[in-house]
Amino acid sequence: MAGMAASTSTSEGALAERALPRSARPAAIVAAGFLALVVVGALTLKLGSVSLGWDEVFKGLTTDSDPLARNIVWQIRFPRLLDGMLIGAALAVSGALLQGVTRNPLADPTILGVTAAAGLASAIVIVANPQVPQWGIAMACMAGGICGAAILYVVAYRGDVSPVRLALAGVALSALFGAAIVGLLSSSRTFLQTSLGFLAGGLYGSEWRDLRAMLPYLVPGFLGAVLVSGRLNVLALGDDVAAGLGVMTDRTRLAILAVVGILTAAAVATAGLVSFVGLVCPHLARYTVGGDNRVLIPVSALYGALLVSSADLIAKLLISPSELPMGIITAGVGAPFLLYLVRFRG
Amino acid sequence: MKLTVENLSLRYGSRRVVEDVSFTVDSGEMVSIVGPNGSGKSTLLRGMSRLQKPSAGRVLLGETDIRDISARAVARTLAILPQSPDGGADLTVRELVFRGRFPHQGILQRIGPADIEAVHWAMDAADVDGLADRPIGSLSGGERQRAWIALALAQQPKVLLLDEPTSFLDIAHQVEVMHLLRRLNREGMTVVSVLHDLVLAGRFSDRVIAVSRGRVEFDGPPAEVLEPVGLERVFGVAMMVMPDPETGLPIPLPRPDPELCPGARRPQA
Repeated sequence: MAGMAASTSTSEGALAERALPRSARPAAIVAAGFLALVVVGALTLKLGSVSLGWDEVFKGLTTDSDPLARNIVWQIRFPRLLDGMLIGAALAVSGALLQGVTRNPLADPTILGVTAAAGLASAIVIVANPQVPQWGIAMACMAGGICGAAILYVVAYRGDVSPVRLALAGVALSALFGAAIVGLLSSSRTFLQTSLGFLAGGLYGSEWRDLRAMLPYLVPGFLGAVLVSGRLNVLALGDDVAAGLGVMTDRTRLAILAVVGILTAAAVATAGLVSFVGLVCPHLARYTVGGDNRVLIPVSALYGALLVSSADLIAKLLISPSELPMGIITAGVGAPFLLYLVRFRG
Repeated sequence: MKLTVENLSLRYGSRRVVEDVSFTVDSGEMVSIVGPNGSGKSTLLRGMSRLQKPSAGRVLLGETDIRDISARAVARTLAILPQSPDGGADLTVRELVFRGRFPHQGILQRIGPADIEAVHWAMDAADVDGLADRPIGSLSGGERQRAWIALALAQQPKVLLLDEPTSFLDIAHQVEVMHLLRRLNREGMTVVSVLHDLVLAGRFSDRVIAVSRGRVEFDGPPAEVLEPVGLERVFGVAMMVMPDPETGLPIPLPRPDPELCPGARRPQA
């Protein structure tokens, strides 16, 4: 009774404040994340096979006065930085959506085969026509990613879509599409170098046109993710509870898979098969800001942007002037994290 | 609010689970649905709440067919608590209860004063405000059930459906949950629960509906319908019904087989 009395006397405002007890932290975390992103961004513009002074970076970014700096900073490093951030955000958001919808902490677009489906489609068009323009690859990826998500849904659907079936079907499809990609690429020898970069995932040579090719998919994708986040919160309570609260469960899952297909495909079109970003970032976000998807999804995006841009910076610097595929770095961080989850978090 | 079930039939694939069931739950009534395992009572409850599409017949909420209005609109008037929900273990009680506001909120689910007031009321009514910051996963069975009931209450329903709300609870918690439901009912809420425990059904219901093989076997006030012949027909086991010495309410029990009950007095031949 004492507890009840105390709570009744609490003012409405104070109750609202306590409504989401973890909501005080995101502000600080988001600020720190953005700060880190700015630091990584600045270093990305400065460092590389040609190291620039800060004044040259600034000049290259803002004026045409120094053609060399302008070329390096504005035409090469800056678009690549933006591409990396957006790809990271797209993959992380896809992972957060998939983990929510499958209610499975091990879900991400790579593990569930969406990445591989998009990759397979782009491998097909690249092998069929090596001269295919970037927007063509992006469209092929899009078709592949959405088909991959759709196949996943159809295979897992049996009257309804259980999270377990979704996860199992995804693992099988991922293996299947992955094998097809490797088979296809190894049968066309001329592309071995490109293929390796594609399979490992990297931002080598990505530029403004990649950004322009991705944006038409990323904008609706991110918007869709924000719009479904509230439903995803309710879906996490179980299908019957969610349906009782008025969520069309299967329709919502379909919408979420479509968003995942779009975002993943945009990332694959530019960077190839980047793995583990979608797995790691949502976990870090959940650990730092809690499970409310309306907060979790944007914070995952921030972490994704940070992870991929840092990984790309490391990939560029590690064996400079040559560079590693960025996906190796994300896998190098992600795979041990997955092992940790399997071993210690069940 | 009144809930009318009209010639309702429900199927899983080709299997007929509920066949041509009709009854009306009046506004402010407290009704228990009883029946053996697999009799279709949980399915019936799902059909009454728009969780499952009828193969024939309809369900009226007030005067409106629940299939004619959106799931969200139904959820603003009718709440259903499924049997032992397992999600949300990492949420706090308050976070869980706030999610009950979903059908009332806009697309971005911004929390408004009406939401805060409803959640406040729901947590108070279900007596979980002392547990507000505890994770669901850390609660005892009875506390957890009250938290889930609070989620349903946050919908501010006029009709509350519950599937076995007392299963897996010890006696004290069973009574606690039933008292809570009775209090809500006294305040005007229509309550329909699927119950396994016939003693609770006899004690707390205005009306008991027995379902067997997808059909209504009997339907009426507990004192009239909870009698051995009807119960034996429904449950397929020899039954006896004793009056509660304090209240006179019926206490149905399976007839013991003295051969198998150590210490039993042999009945006089």
